[in-house]
Amino acid sequence: MLDIAFAKPTLPESGALVLPLAEDDLGGGLVAEWDRLLGGHLARGISAAEFKGRKGQSATLYAPGGGLSRLVLIGLGKRDALDATAAEAAGGAAVTALGKESLAAIDARALSTNGGPSSGKGAATPADIALGAVLRAWRFDRYRTTEKAEDKPRLTGVKVLCEDPAASRAEWSSRKAVAEGVFLTRELVSEPANILNPPEFADRLRKLEKLGVEVEVFGQKDLEKLGFGSMLCVSQGSAQPPRMVVMRWNGTDQKKKDSKPLAFIGKGVTFDTGGISIKPAGGMEDMKWDMAGAGVVSGLMAALAGRKAKVDVVGLVGLVENMPSGTATRPGDVVTSYSGQTIEVINTDAEGRLVLADVLSYCKKRFDPAFMVNLATLTGAIIVALGNEHAGLFSNDDGLAQRIQEAGKAVGELAWRMPLGDAYDRAIRSDIADMKNVGGGRAGGSITAAQFIQRFVDGCPWAHLDIAGVAWSGKDQPTVPKGATAWGVRLLDRMVAEHHEGRSLAAAPAPEPAEEETALVSGADSASPATLSEGTPASEPLVPTPDAVTRPAESGAPVPRAPRRPATRRPRR
Amino acid sequence: MLKLRLAELPDARAEGGAPLALPVRPGAALPDRYAAAAAAAGFDPTRGEALRLDGALGDRTAWLIGVAPGPMGMEAAGALAAASLAAVSLAGEERSGERRGVIDARGLPPGDVAALAIGAGMRAHRLPFYGATPPPALRRLELLVEDAAAHEPGIARARAMLRGAGLARDLAAEPANRLTPQIFVERLWELESHGIEVTVRGRRWLERHGYGGLLAVGRGSAHPPRLVELRWPGHSDAPPVAFVGKGITFDTGGVSIKGAAGMEAMKADMAGAAACAGAILALALRDSPAPATAVLAIAENMTDADSYRPGDVLRMASGLTVEVVDTDAEGRLVLADALHHARGLNPAAILDLATLTGSIISALGHHRAGLFGNDDALRDAAMAAGEAVGEPLWPMPIGRRHREDLASEIADLRHCLPPGGGGPGWAGKFLPDACHAAAFLRDFAAPEGGGTVPWAHLDIAGMDLREEGREAGSYPLPPGPSGYGVRLLDRLVADRFE
Repeated sequence: MLDIAFAKPTLPESGALVLPLAEDDLGGGLVAEWDRLLGGHLARGISAAEFKGRKGQSATLYAPGGGLSRLVLIGLGKRDALDATAAEAAGGAAVTALGKESLAAIDARALSTNGGPSSGKGAATPADIALGAVLRAWRFDRYRTTEKAEDKPRLTGVKVLCEDPAASRAEWSSRKAVAEGVFLTRELVSEPANILNPPEFADRLRKLEKLGVEVEVFGQKDLEKLGFGSMLCVSQGSAQPPRMVVMRWNGTDQKKKDSKPLAFIGKGVTFDTGGISIKPAGGMEDMKWDMAGAGVVSGLMAALAGRKAKVDVVGLVGLVENMPSGTATRPGDVVTSYSGQTIEVINTDAEGRLVLADVLSYCKKRFDPAFMVNLATLTGAIIVALGNEHAGLFSNDDGLAQRIQEAGKAVGELAWRMPLGDAYDRAIRSDIADMKNVGGGRAGGSITAAQFIQRFVDGCPWAHLDIAGVAWSGKDQPTVPKGATAWGVRLLDRMVAEHHEGRSLAAAPAPEPAEEETALVSGADSASPATLSEGTPASEPLVPTPDAVTRPAESGAPVPRAPRRPATRRPRR
Repeated sequence: MLKLRLAELPDARAEGGAPLALPVRPGAALPDRYAAAAAAAGFDPTRGEALRLDGALGDRTAWLIGVAPGPMGMEAAGALAAASLAAVSLAGEERSGERRGVIDARGLPPGDVAALAIGAGMRAHRLPFYGATPPPALRRLELLVEDAAAHEPGIARARAMLRGAGLARDLAAEPANRLTPQIFVERLWELESHGIEVTVRGRRWLERHGYGGLLAVGRGSAHPPRLVELRWPGHSDAPPVAFVGKGITFDTGGVSIKGAAGMEAMKADMAGAAACAGAILALALRDSPAPATAVLAIAENMTDADSYRPGDVLRMASGLTVEVVDTDAEGRLVLADALHHARGLNPAAILDLATLTGSIISALGHHRAGLFGNDDALRDAAMAAGEAVGEPLWPMPIGRRHREDLASEIADLRHCLPPGGGGPGWAGKFLPDACHAAAFLRDFAAPEGGGTVPWAHLDIAGMDLREEGREAGSYPLPPGPSGYGVRLLDRLVADRFE
C-alpha cells in the first residue's frame, strides 16, 4: 500500500503536487495562493492547457517552479456535486496522472472546504482522497518476474495537504483497514487456480487470526460427517479437497451465546471448469475468479477486524474446485444436502448454488444469525440482465435490501433489486427429488438460482448478491484498476458501519419469518466439527451444534406440473 | 369473441341444457346436491382445480371450480370455468366447435363477477384458424346473478377490455403473409367506426420527413413500412397519453438473419403495436374521458438485396445518426423514430411496448415484463397497474455504462453491441441487451435538453406469447398471443389519466 501522510499545506520541496479544482475554484483564492508560490506558472499553465476544472479533465504542468517536478491539475466539475465518491475519484485520478513520480502531495482543500454536501466533513475528505489513491495504485505483480524496474510503478507515498492533519489521520485509520480488506480480496481473486486451491485459500485465511478473527477450517472428513452432500458433490471430481472456513469477529462485549451475529457467506469455487457439463474453452481462464464471493467475505472480515468494528460477525466460505473426472458428479445424480432436502443435479456447471446451499443451512443452524448475506459469481444471466455496473440483489427482507442498496450508492458499488416469487420457484421442481439445480431453459436464470438458494435460508432474513458482472473489471475505473474489483467489501463494511455497529444486536432489525416457509423438524445427521481431517489440527469448535435441523417446506401452491420442453425460439431483439 | 350475458332467475334461459360451472371459494358451503360428491372426490377449492359432476344437476353437467386464494384467483376461476365448460358438447355442437355454458355467480359482488367474465373471456377467445374444424371454444356464456342491473357496468367494462385484448391477440396471431404492413393498416382503418381517428403515413411521407430508422428496417421488404397514429380524443383538452408500439409484422433478422428454429414465432413481433391498438380500442369502447394516441411503427424486416446492412449509418427522424451493428436489433430503430414522432404530439406521458430483446427473457423469464424509464411516478403507476391486472412488470436500470457502451466511432451512437462485444473473457460473452436497448431509446424518448416527458419502456418479449407446457402469466391461456399490455395500459389510463 502507498504510504499515506497528512500535513498542513506547504509547498513540497520536491516531487509532484496534485491540485484538484472544481470549476468554481478557477480564479479563487486557492489558485491564487499556489500561483504566488509558483511565481505565476500556475495561472499561465491553466490558461495554456485550457483547464476548466470539468469533471474528468486533467492537465500536467512540468517543472512548474518551486522545485516541483510536476503539477497535476484535476477537474472536479461543479462544486455542489462534490461528495466522498468525487474525493476518491480525485485520489484515483491523481495516481494515474502521476506517471513515474515516486512522491506526491495532493492538496485536498478544494474538496474539503466551502463544498456542497461534503463541507462540514472537512477532516474526512482528505482521507477519502487517500483511499481513492491507494485503491487505484494497487497492483498484482507477483508473477511478473522479468518486468524491468523502470517499467514498474514508482509511486510509493502520498502526502495529503489539509487543514487538520491530525483529524484526517484519525479518519484514515479505518479507511486504511478497509483498503487492506479490499487488497486481500483482490489478491485472492487474482491468484491463479493452480496456486489458490481450497487448502491454500483456507491457509491464507488463517492469517486473519493475527487481526483477532477466530478461524475454523473444515476439511473433507468434517464435511462428510456434517452431511454436506450438496457441497461435496461439487468437489468430488477434483484432486483438491474442499474446505469450509468459518471466521468470526466479535468486536462487541456480548458473549457469543447471547448474540445473534451478522452472517456473510461466500461462494468459493477456486476454479470452475463446469464439471461434466464442461464450459466452452473461450474465456474459461476467468473461472479462476469464481471464488470472488468467498474473496469478498474474507476481505470484509479483514476490514471489520482491522478497524476493530464493534459488531459480532461471522463469515463463512465454501471452497471447492469443480473439475470433470471419473469421480465427478454426473447430470441426473441426486444428492442430499445438509438441510436434508434432496437435489437433482441437472447441470454440473450450476455448482455455486450447491455450495451455498450447505453453507447457508449450516450457518443458519449453528449461528441463528440476525441476517445472512451471501455473495456469489453465480450466473451469466445476471450480466445479460444488468450488465457490469450493478450486481443483482435478491432478498426476502425489504429493509435489508434497502440498506444494501443505500450503502452501495454511498461507496459506488451499485446493487439492483431483482424479483423472487413462487412462479419462478416452480421452475426448479424436480420429478425425482425435492428440487433440481437449474430451471428449464435460460429464462430468468438468475432468479431461479436465487429461488434455489432461498430454499436453504430457513426463514432467516437474507440477501443474495449475484456479483458475476461486477467481480472483475475489463477496464480501469476511477478507484479500481482493471481486474479484481473486490466489489462488495466496501459496500458491506459501510452497511455494517451505518446500521449495525456499536449498538446492541437486539436492536438490529428483527428477523421476520418468511410466511411461506413452515419449519419442520427433521433429524438430519450432524456432528460436532471437532477435528479437521487431512492432518492439520483443528481449532476448537466455536459453538456447540444445535440438535435439530430445521428444514424449509416446499413453498408455493401446488399446481399440476406441466411437461417441459426446451425453448425453441431464438431470442429476439 | 365470447358473448357474455347476465341472467337472473327465473327468466334465465340458462342456455337450455348447457353445462353449469359453480365457482367455489375456500370455506364456502356447497349446495347440498354437490356436497357429498365433492367430499368423496376430495375436492379442495384452494387448489384452483375443476371437478366434473355428472348426474348431480339433472341431465346437465355441473362443474365445481375452485377459486384459489390470491388477487387473480377469481379471474383464474373464470378461465378454468370457460375451459371446463368447453369440454362438454351438446347435440349439434360437435362439428362447429362452438360451446355454450353457464356460470352460477349468484352471491358474488360485481367485482368478482366481472373478474369471472374477464377470465372466461380471455380463456375462451378463439384465435384465427384457417383449417376446416376449429378447436372447440366457449362461444356463449350466461352469468347467473341475482340483480343483473348491478352487474351490468362491470360486465360492459369487461366486454370493452376483452374486445381490446382480443384485437391485439388476433393481430399478433395472424401469419405474416396475412398481415403485411398494408393489411395491418387496413385492419386499423376499421377502428374508425369506434370514433378513433386513424392517420397513416406511407413511405413517401416518411422519406420527406427523414424517418430513417423505420425506412431502413422496412427497406428490404416488398411491403413498405407505415407509421400509424390512432387517436382517441376522449372528452378533454388535456394532452394525450401516447402509446408507442413496435410493429414488425415479420422479423427474419434481416442480413443478420436468425436461426431457423422457432423463427415462425416472429410473426408476433408486432405484439407491442397490437397491444397499443387494443388498448386504444378498449378506451374507445368504454368511452374513456382521457385522450390517448397510439403511434405504431409498422414494417417487415426481410433479408433482401436492398436490405440495410450492419455498418450502415442512418440518420433518424430526430436528426441523430446511428451506426447499425446488427440488423436483427431492428425494433429499437423503428421505435426511435416512433418515439420522436410521439414527442411531437406534446403528450402527458409516453409508454412504449415492444417485443424487444431476448435479454429480458434471460433476466425476468416469462412472469414479468421489463420496465425502463425516466420518471419514478410513471414507473410506480405502471407497476401498480400491471400488478392489478395480472400483467406484472419489474423495474430495470439504465446505467451510465449502458449508454457509454453505445458510443460509436462513426456516428452519434450505435444501436447495440456486437456478439461478444462486452469485452474479453468469460463475462464479455454476456450482453445486457435489454438495458442497451433502453439506453438507446432514451436518446429519442427523452433527449437531453429536449424537455422531459415522462417515459416508460416496456420490454414485453417474454410475455407476449403463451406456449404449450410453459408456465406464464396468472393463469393458463391457449398457446398463442396473450394480449399482454392491453389491460395494463387500460388500467394505467384509468388510474392516472382520467
